[in-house]
Amino acid sequence: MAAVAVLSGEVRAEGVGKTIDETTLLLPTDVSADPGECVVLRGPNGSGKTTLLRIIGGLLVPTTGTATIGGREADERDRAVRAAVAALLGAPTTYRDLTLIDHLVLIDSTWGGEPGSSDERSLALLDRLGIAHLDDRFPHELSSGQEQLFRLALTFSRPATVVLLDEPEQRLDTTKREVVAELIRERTSGGTTVVMACHDPDLTASLASRVVDVVPAR
Amino acid sequence: MTTSEPDQLDDAGLPTVEYDDHDLLGQADWVIGGEAARKARQQGLYAGYVAFLGALVYGLPIVQTVFRTSDAGSLGEQLSSPVAIVLLVASVAALLGAVVFAGRFRGPVVPPMPWIDLVLSAPLDRALALRRWWRYAAVGGLFLGALGGLTVGAGLAFAHLGGVVTIVVATVAGAALGVLTTRLWLWSQVRSWPGPDRGLTLLWRVPDALRELHAESLRAHSANTSTLAGSALTGNLRTARLALTRPVHHGRSARLRPGRPFAVLARRDVLGLRRTPGAFLSGLGLSLLGGAVVTWAFVQPVAPSIAATIGLLPLYLGFGAWSEGLRLQADNVGTPSLLGTNDVGEAVAHLVVPTALTALALGLWVGVTAVFTPVPASAVLSLVIVLVLVVAGNVFAAFRGTPTFVMRPQTVVAWYALPALSVVVIGSVVAVLTKAGSYTWLSAVSWLAYLLLFWSISRVRRLTYLHRS
Repeated sequence: MAAVAVLSGEVRAEGVGKTIDETTLLLPTDVSADPGECVVLRGPNGSGKTTLLRIIGGLLVPTTGTATIGGREADERDRAVRAAVAALLGAPTTYRDLTLIDHLVLIDSTWGGEPGSSDERSLALLDRLGIAHLDDRFPHELSSGQEQLFRLALTFSRPATVVLLDEPEQRLDTTKREVVAELIRERTSGGTTVVMACHDPDLTASLASRVVDVVPAR
Repeated sequence: MTTSEPDQLDDAGLPTVEYDDHDLLGQADWVIGGEAARKARQQGLYAGYVAFLGALVYGLPIVQTVFRTSDAGSLGEQLSSPVAIVLLVASVAALLGAVVFAGRFRGPVVPPMPWIDLVLSAPLDRALALRRWWRYAAVGGLFLGALGGLTVGAGLAFAHLGGVVTIVVATVAGAALGVLTTRLWLWSQVRSWPGPDRGLTLLWRVPDALRELHAESLRAHSANTSTLAGSALTGNLRTARLALTRPVHHGRSARLRPGRPFAVLARRDVLGLRRTPGAFLSGLGLSLLGGAVVTWAFVQPVAPSIAATIGLLPLYLGFGAWSEGLRLQADNVGTPSLLGTNDVGEAVAHLVVPTALTALALGLWVGVTAVFTPVPASAVLSLVIVLVLVVAGNVFAAFRGTPTFVMRPQTVVAWYALPALSVVVIGSVVAVLTKAGSYTWLSAVSWLAYLLLFWSISRVRRLTYLHRS
């Protein structure tokens, strides 16, 4: 057993930018989000929204500026940061030999979820996303939209004080987008900080407590 | 050239057109490759010549060494025992099973994509249009089989375990095995795509087998080859593994039972093996085969020490077949955290199932041996060191990361082989020291095995932490 600091959902990115060789992926940008807020990153393709989310999640080192989670440097190597941040940034690697429900039970168990009710919690989350009837399918048996819903389920099934989402609306129909919006709303009303990149103006309008425009490098 | 014969009708009464397949293929060859195509074929002959020289220079002395390291009489008796014959049959069956497995995604007939798209789409006889690639594989199989048989037969003769007849029989048997192997490989490739004619008679009806190959299947096999080669060269082993594996469909009604993190991770691996019986059975076959040879090498005084070297590789690979959970953890390095466990704890949990199964395989052979002959305690202790080595090698292999140096074919091979090589080399030294009774040195080498284990586990954390920068 090891003690891991519990970080608050205070997200600060001050002047963070990323340049690789001669290519600028992200111009220096500021993002500030407090617990219970949903900050939406907006910008054209290639403006650096995903790069910014990766920096905030501690997966990428910024070339300029600093990023912090709950006052600590955003560094994925820090167990406290890992415990605080749940992120959907690209496709998570899934077990090809586990079904959807098994994945959620596995995640729930590793976060200390009550074993007696783990199945119920997992099924309830799948049900919220409208894919409970697919609980015994393997990830490779899903359509692209169902796969996106499953990825969201994986992200929402673990506890976190900060949730980072990269275009959660992609591949989803209008009804499912509203379901996802409702889940995000529930998390923010429970005190979780959500920072997400989004191209859907309706979703942005209904969720964003603040919008950050990410300016493309060129 | 194409000649129209409007007066000729086929059985259904339709007019026919005749194609000179040889001429059309010759033209296609010239357009695509020109003189270079002929030169490329000559390079194949040169590769065979190099392999033959290599077998003469290295193969014969190695086999001689293998059989000369012990009392020829006793060794001969053991090699002709029922257990040895069963192991030989199991090895041949494993080889044939491996080519049937490989043929599902990469068969012997894999022309380049432009040939599939531009030439095979013409109404040529497919058997003729694909014959060249089949011949490469067929000649290669025959050559390698005969060469292998010749090497083993000659080695046995040099060690006074046989005569000229042994050499001839071994060479012919090797050649026959080579032919059977390539034909099974082709048969498996045919079966990788739905079709009307997929029976075993295709084994001796090669032109018909070639005609059964669907263009889409050939395209898929060609794409698989590119994926495997590309991912192997860039060190992206996950992509290579996914290209090799079949999607899982078994046991969906079984559920992962929730519980404490460590136990649930181990249960995940058990469930994974239940749902991938192919992986479980491959691991079982390899571990039993490797375990038998390694146990024989450590327990039997007449066994040559090099037998341990030979047995360690399948034992190592068998453990690897049961270690999907460990490899997936390594694949996930650098992605947002989903599981609430720490890196080393997760790796250790994923080692429980393969370690227990490998220990069972080794224990089974020790038990079988103990029925017939006393098993020295030193041999059992050395087998424990071997188990530690196999665990360490597989952790090292899973968490070796991606290569950071400029990739050349030699360095790629070295990079891939390093974990297995570490296991085989240290394990072989353990075998030599155990048989020699050099317990002081054995103690020192056993520390090396534990060091490798701790270093490999330290790589779990190192890789997890280093990826960010």
